[in-house]
Amino acid sequence: MNNENIAEQGVNEAINTETSAQIENAAPVANVSEAAADDMLDFDDNPLSATGVSRKSLVIFFLIDTSGSMKGKKMGELNTVMEELIPEIRKVGEADTEVKVAVLTFSTDVRWMYSNPIPIEEFEWARLRASGVTSLGAALKELNARMSRNGFLNSPSLSFAPVIFLMTDGYPSDDYKAGLKELQANSWYKFGLKAALGIGSEANDNVLAEFTGSADTVVHAYSGGQLAQMIKIIAVTSSQIGSKSMTLSDDTGHEIGEEDVFAAKQKLLGQQIQELVGKTETDDVPFDTGW
Amino acid sequence: MTELEIGQEVELEFGGKAQVLSVIGSGGQGTVYLVRFNGQKWALKWYDIDKMKKPKEFLKNLRSNIADGPPDNKFLWPKYLTKEAEDGTFGYIMDLKPEGFDSFVDILNTYKLEVDPLTGRAVKKDVKFNSLTAMITAVINIVNSFRLLHRAGKSYQDLNDGGFFINVNTGAVLVCDCDNIAPDGSNFGIGGKPGYMAPEVVRGITQPNVQTDKYSLAVVLFKLLFRGDPMEGEKVVRDVCLTESSELKHYGQNAVFVYDPNNASNRPVRGIHDNVIKFWRIYPDYIKDAFIRSFTTGISDPTKRIIENEWQKLFIRLRSEIIMCGCGRTNFASMFVQPNEKTFKCPKCGMEFVTLGFSNRSYRMPLFLGCKFYECEINPESEEFMKVAGELVENKLKPGVIGIKNCSDRKWRAKMPDGVFYDIAPGKGFPVWQGLEIDFGQIKAQI
Repeated sequence: MNNENIAEQGVNEAINTETSAQIENAAPVANVSEAAADDMLDFDDNPLSATGVSRKSLVIFFLIDTSGSMKGKKMGELNTVMEELIPEIRKVGEADTEVKVAVLTFSTDVRWMYSNPIPIEEFEWARLRASGVTSLGAALKELNARMSRNGFLNSPSLSFAPVIFLMTDGYPSDDYKAGLKELQANSWYKFGLKAALGIGSEANDNVLAEFTGSADTVVHAYSGGQLAQMIKIIAVTSSQIGSKSMTLSDDTGHEIGEEDVFAAKQKLLGQQIQELVGKTETDDVPFDTGW
Repeated sequence: MTELEIGQEVELEFGGKAQVLSVIGSGGQGTVYLVRFNGQKWALKWYDIDKMKKPKEFLKNLRSNIADGPPDNKFLWPKYLTKEAEDGTFGYIMDLKPEGFDSFVDILNTYKLEVDPLTGRAVKKDVKFNSLTAMITAVINIVNSFRLLHRAGKSYQDLNDGGFFINVNTGAVLVCDCDNIAPDGSNFGIGGKPGYMAPEVVRGITQPNVQTDKYSLAVVLFKLLFRGDPMEGEKVVRDVCLTESSELKHYGQNAVFVYDPNNASNRPVRGIHDNVIKFWRIYPDYIKDAFIRSFTTGISDPTKRIIENEWQKLFIRLRSEIIMCGCGRTNFASMFVQPNEKTFKCPKCGMEFVTLGFSNRSYRMPLFLGCKFYECEINPESEEFMKVAGELVENKLKPGVIGIKNCSDRKWRAKMPDGVFYDIAPGKGFPVWQGLEIDFGQIKAQI
């Protein structure tokens, strides 16, 4: 009981002394604290209100042959697998990478599916139809035109080099070499991760290797099952590698220099694609038979 | 057998079978599956040994980690190994991530994607700390878990944003991906992620170890508090395209901290690094100084990096300096006006806060209704930073009377206005008054 009385007394005293202390202090420090207070309040000072960390961006370019020869099973398979692929790529983007997708189709004409790269979270596949000839050269020229800071790669923050994935089932019907020559001068292309898929026996792997720069990143699909598998392997692997910082081996035994890392991702992509392709089975019906 | 099929059964080393139910996710070294074992659900990590450099050594290390057990319960530690398959592949099972924890990646993004099972559409859901105390508690928990790991003589090796789950309501932390943890000095082939890796690891001149863990830990803490990359500023953004060689340069050979006081070449860029610019104004100097040291002298000299115990002390201090003002403004004491050395004042509403000074430290703790101090703050022998020792409360029988409640299990002594010290038993309290002195035993405090 005694204790409680003392307690109550104590609080009253505390309140009294505090009030007098405030009054005493108020006058002399007013100016200083007002200036300091302004400084503390002239911006959103909430320590919990943050925006997401600034993310690096990665654009995946799909270059898709929609010429007449793609009609039927090939196009049906392609449309289906692309629809299924989008959610899989969605999982790829890490905290610090925003993945966007741009789709360029080429037949007699060259056409973008959307007028800008679309964030993977919002991307919806618009089903493609096939007709016309294979204007690969025109497609490469169009890609070169858009693959610039003022074009499709206009993210204000850092970008990873883009992933460029070409799918075709025939020999180009135009001068693809002229288009490729223009593209090869583009730095984004130079540093980009390039892969290509030949569909059926008409597609020319040498043309595709010219495009990717190495035979390791060119694969071939001869059947519907393979087509779906290969598209997934290439798209997922290349976006995984493309959306991350380079992976480092730590057993070099010497200090890593420019030459060790040059095109390291493209080499890694080649290795991984070859490994994965080697593992897949090849026992369903070829595209070329049973028509 | 690099991939397991749904429904497949995997034999465990010490008997029993785990049945694969679904895929949880896949990473650089293998895939994690949801499995059923002994009637309960577990996570099974199954390795793709083709992607591993030293699978035999890796397995041996995993086995000894399982035998040693986790440093404490904050680790999602490997529990049981599977039998080795004929081709040498193997895996282990571990506990599932409990409900209520979000990944560090989602916290940095401030949202997570949840797929609506009906439409298949991904919907964004906010992921944010619900209080400043929870966020700083999470930091203390992260630091503490690495302190315990390093004290056990092990290093984590591949510290990055995929390594934690955090409860944003409480600040509880779970360290996951514990399979690369190895005795300090050993490495079983894990590379890492530039941005998180110490520059000497990026450059290939050192293998991951306890010292490189300390660098990665500083990056993790910086990202959590400042919501940006400590090395990504003007110098890096000017490169536009982040190629392999620019990563080697900006995170290895020529890494420059964005707030290096002696090198302004890599300052954060408005419009891109707004978080870092904003939060650098908010945090008190002693926190900023620790990051400056980590990312300037600590870049070239690993021994100058902040040790975990030091981080832990700094953040326990920071937690004690959080003020929740009656007007709704919550911030660190450094963001309040100090009309005199013993008082803080809210710049928004003018409310004043008295402070408590402790005999073992130079800074003072602001008092507000609901503020707490912890066992480690009143007992030099205690490391218990989560155990509440005292709280500022309103007397339940006398509304308006504010005092400190003894929540510890030891007796304190407090000086009352009559000048006499009275015993304060656990569960009891005493009023806050101008001449208050508290004797916690070895540590004393006064208003």
